[in-house]
Amino acid sequence: MIVRLLLAALAAGLIAGMAMTPAQYVKTIPLIMQAEAYENGGAGHHHGDAAASDEAAHDHGADQSMFGFGRLGDTIVANLVAGAGFALMLAAVALLLGVEFPTGTAGVTRGLLFGAAAWFCVQLAPAMSLPPAVPGFPYADLGDRQGWWVITIAASAVGLWCIAMRPEWLLKILGLAIIVAPHLWGSPVPEDLTSNIPAYIASAYAAASLATTLFFWLLLGGLLGHFLSRVDEEQTA
Amino acid sequence: MAVKTASLSLTDRIGARAVAGLMALVVGSILVFGVGLANSQALHDAAHDTRHSYGFPCH
Repeated sequence: MIVRLLLAALAAGLIAGMAMTPAQYVKTIPLIMQAEAYENGGAGHHHGDAAASDEAAHDHGADQSMFGFGRLGDTIVANLVAGAGFALMLAAVALLLGVEFPTGTAGVTRGLLFGAAAWFCVQLAPAMSLPPAVPGFPYADLGDRQGWWVITIAASAVGLWCIAMRPEWLLKILGLAIIVAPHLWGSPVPEDLTSNIPAYIASAYAAASLATTLFFWLLLGGLLGHFLSRVDEEQTA
Repeated sequence: MAVKTASLSLTDRIGARAVAGLMALVVGSILVFGVGLANSQALHDAAHDTRHSYGFPCH
């Protein structure tokens, strides 16, 4: 049964991850490529001291490919791995919290809600203080941003669990406080906010990133709910 | 559900879910870390568009 549960999560993740590449090529990647043109064209542009050394050796994967598949191939592989990873983590949360997925549409509906909750924690909550950024954005220190990002996702998940899955009012209020706390603390902000990237591309990109990932998480949640309900059904039948 | 005879007892099912959940958590974290956060140049370049699209902190 353990293997079946893991395979159910993996299948949902690979399907959702596969669907993500075309979604990205419609919405986000054209904007990334446009931004890169401005990034490379902007002579003398700085990303701040911390990022400057990193920037010198920076390469967008267009010239060389890790797997030899080219940029598109690399993105397909990366999306499959990301899909599998997110699916396993989402399934882990469901299994460890004892969330059951009933058979039929009820399981899919619960999965969709679960996916929406994950989208809030992984995408919307961090984006509120650390917006999704195209290449060439002014950047604060990478380690600081990654740390803040991970902590915010964890806090949002714990907070949402307190609000959605605990009956106690005190815990619900505490959950809200936990969700808000990283934003009050503040995300790492670059000292110099000037950039060569046109504002239109940047704002369109933030919306495109949130929209494509909402598609991903809803698809992943729905599939996960469906597949996990099938595992339960077979085990109890 | 309750009327059907379970092929596994309830405790076994709960145990299997917990073990599967922990395994999924470990493997999933490693995969997400590798795609989104690992500081390797090769991984960064390969996952570049994915990292940006998912809003991972990048560069």
